[in-house]
Amino acid sequence: MNNLAKFTIGIFLTLGMAWLAFVVGARSQFGDLVPTSEVLEDDGSVPVDAELFPTSLSGMAKQGAEEYAALGCVTCHTQQVRRVEAGFDVERGWGKRPSAPRDYVLQEHVLLGNSRIGPDLANVGLREHSDNWLHQHLFEPQSIFPSSLCPPSPFLYQQIDEPVKSDIEIVSNENADGNRFVRPTVRASRLVSYLQELKQDYELPEVSFVEVEEDVIEEEVVSTDISVVSTGAPKWLQDQIDTGKEIYMKAAPGGGMCFTCHQQNGQGLAGQFPPLAGSDWVLGDKERLIKISMYGLMGEIEVNGVKYNNVMAPPGIPPGSLTDEQIASVLTYIRNDWGNSASAVSAEEVATVRESLKGRAPMQMFTAAELTTPVQ
Amino acid sequence: MSVDSPDKVIDRSAKLVFSFFLSSAGLWLLTAALLAYVAAAKLTDPFFLSTYEFLTYGKIKVAQANAFVYGWGGNAIFAVSIWILARLSQAEVRGSVFIVFAGVIWNLAITFGLLGIMDGHMSGHEMLEMPTEVWPAMLISYLIITFLVLVIHRSRQVRETIAPQWFILAALLWFPALFLIAWNGLEINPARGTLQTVLSMWYGQSLVWLWLTPVALGAAYYLIPAILGRTIDKYYLAIFGFWCIAALAPWSVVHHLEGGPVPMWIPAIGTVMSIAMVFPIAVASTNFHATAFMDIGKVWDSLPLRFVIFGTLSYTVSSYIGVVFSLPAVAKITQFTIINEFHFNQRVYGFFSMIIFGAVYFALPRITGKEIPKAAKSFHFWTSTLGVLMLLLAYLIGGLTHGVLAGQPSLPWASSVIQSIQPYFLITKFAFIILAFSQFVFVVNVWRVIFPNPFAFFAADDKEASA
Ligand code: HEC
Ligand code: HEC
Repeated sequence: MNNLAKFTIGIFLTLGMAWLAFVVGARSQFGDLVPTSEVLEDDGSVPVDAELFPTSLSGMAKQGAEEYAALGCVTCHTQQVRRVEAGFDVERGWGKRPSAPRDYVLQEHVLLGNSRIGPDLANVGLREHSDNWLHQHLFEPQSIFPSSLCPPSPFLYQQIDEPVKSDIEIVSNENADGNRFVRPTVRASRLVSYLQELKQDYELPEVSFVEVEEDVIEEEVVSTDISVVSTGAPKWLQDQIDTGKEIYMKAAPGGGMCFTCHQQNGQGLAGQFPPLAGSDWVLGDKERLIKISMYGLMGEIEVNGVKYNNVMAPPGIPPGSLTDEQIASVLTYIRNDWGNSASAVSAEEVATVRESLKGRAPMQMFTAAELTTPVQ
Repeated sequence: MSVDSPDKVIDRSAKLVFSFFLSSAGLWLLTAALLAYVAAAKLTDPFFLSTYEFLTYGKIKVAQANAFVYGWGGNAIFAVSIWILARLSQAEVRGSVFIVFAGVIWNLAITFGLLGIMDGHMSGHEMLEMPTEVWPAMLISYLIITFLVLVIHRSRQVRETIAPQWFILAALLWFPALFLIAWNGLEINPARGTLQTVLSMWYGQSLVWLWLTPVALGAAYYLIPAILGRTIDKYYLAIFGFWCIAALAPWSVVHHLEGGPVPMWIPAIGTVMSIAMVFPIAVASTNFHATAFMDIGKVWDSLPLRFVIFGTLSYTVSSYIGVVFSLPAVAKITQFTIINEFHFNQRVYGFFSMIIFGAVYFALPRITGKEIPKAAKSFHFWTSTLGVLMLLLAYLIGGLTHGVLAGQPSLPWASSVIQSIQPYFLITKFAFIILAFSQFVFVVNVWRVIFPNPFAFFAADDKEASA
């Protein structure tokens, strides 16, 4: 105790042991987990061409994760479903199964959190909230649950006096002077695509779904239901889809000629042109899609598990000439045909992305890699 | 000069450093109090200041914890440990200028760190939320200060060391080790997946257990005998208590991960070690309270001691509660509830800060030669007590309610679970107002003594010397 050097060694030894276990030991135990298939072969190997889980977040969602971290959402929301014997999480309907370490290996920001003033969000993407619902919730949770403590984030939205169709209507039961309209900024859209992608809806060799008696879970009564697509498309949306289809099929100025490569049925051509039907590039985040439609795409890309390496020049005649409205329509169309169903894209969203790409040289095609790594 | 006792000479040598750290600590305390109020107010009215992005709840909450731990905690630790170690070593404080210089860097780093958080550069690692850009500045300034403190310790007159020295030195040395481990594992060689969380949780909790806690325990080991004029009862246990904390605390902190997506052995070890923590807790509380209760009248009369004993009692109670809450059966209910706030505030307000207040009230008159009016101290004591108790009870009862209701899957979240704990948030809001007020009184008390006349700070030094 009297010799400073010995004393120092002593106190570092005690600390060092815990460090060895938790940092070094744990790292060697599960530091190199990798995605795997839902079930393994008998000999423990991953079946050939099985889908691997977890999948990584889309580029937009990764950026959303940064927003989520920067806004401190983790102070009130956890992202972990506890094991059944350790808590009520599965019973509450917060997940189909407990979370496993493997679920997080591809995330850059692991935001497990340790406080639940708000509900767990590990599976918020499974709760079938529409994008609009999430936007309304982000803008002002109290317009949905009057007693919510979730902080409103009006700074992520532009309040709009003269709304266009794709703006989000904040439906509130109490507001006497009518509903308000807001337009999400790119940051808000990123956050929403992040939330939509938070889901642990696959099984892993080490965890399977847990059966819960259905009647235990009582859904919260949602005072507003503003999901767009599910209840038969409203007229403005149908119009946008129709215009979009025209652009998709048109091989003259003002058209996109998309069908010449991606085909009328959206299936593409094996080995050359990737499909749009069921593609998570199409259904995923809008920002990325908008960028592709403005600047084109080249280099290696994986679509629905198949790799392509080809070039898509900036669409339009002449190349890169599609206007904001045209891009919005054609994207809304490809997100809503051949079994696809995703939210509409508005000309304003396209304009915002165009604005954010101001410095980019015209015709400078994107690569898939560039679109999946978050810009710092 | 020649008539001065050695203690007086030492006190004078510590004056600049002590005053600097203490006055900065005071400013941070007020900053944290203000942020705490804003955060609490947002939980009672989510629309309060909601249009300002930099004031959104998540950022304010985190900024508050950082201002409290690194700003108030860090500066208070420097002030108190330098003085106590100098006294115990019977050695003068040397290199004051360098210490103050490093202290300025430390404070600037935290200031920029908090601005960074509010500006949207929060890292998301527990208690390391400040942007990585300021980490080097924090570490370097910390190391400079610690080095100079070790120099004081090395020049001590008596080779034998005693409990306060072990605790304070260990805390001073553990911090950079923890910080480096976390830095390496989170940024330089980033761990993948939930390992990140294991590490940042380990760091965040260890910071309280291995940095704030030992300093406060060390201060209590110094102040209780010094004020009562008697030795610590069953002092031979202290060394056992010390090594128990050193050996168990770094393991126990991870029990918060119970049930989560990490290998089961991690929280399991944490739980076992948390239960084993009853030994060091029992040692410290025997040492402190057996000594104090021999002379309880004197404890009551001396305000510094009253603060210290409040702190040690709070330590004992909170630590035992912590042990109970780490039992898996209980953790199932309380995990993730606002009981976490109870633990944090119990530790940093009820225990650490109260002991620091006591230490400051004891040291400051000796260092500056000026007394703080008793009424002012007493007012501070009662408002703090009231505020702390209100805060802790609200979080405790609110946390249990939170846990029990959350455990009933048929109750909807927003309209039932959260609504039921809203009244407790209202109580905490008032508690934070009281605490802010109380801390304001503390800071005024301190500042009036340090800067009776702001312009004559250094001149006063000379006058005293010649008097
Ligand atoms: C003060 C604590 C708090 C913070 C900070 C917070 N939330 Fe919430 N959140 C809540 C509460 C309480 C609810 C439940 C009531 C509701 O749905 O509005 C909730 C609900 C939600 C829901 C709905 C979950 C569902 O499945 O119905 C989402 C999505 C959400 N929050 C996202 C966020 C995001 C994104 C952030 C960061 C910008 C955030 N929250 C920050 C408290 C918080
Ligand atoms: C000249 C042929 C061609 C045309 C015309 C074309 N594409 Fe593509 N598209 C491609 C190729 C080739 C790729 C893959 C590029 C790569 O390998 O990086 C691709 C990739 C894509 C992708 C991402 C991958 C996927 O399948 O989800 C989207 C989305 C897309 N195109 C949309 C469109 C839209 C919308 C239009 C019309 C406005 C269009 N494309 C017109 C050839 C074309």
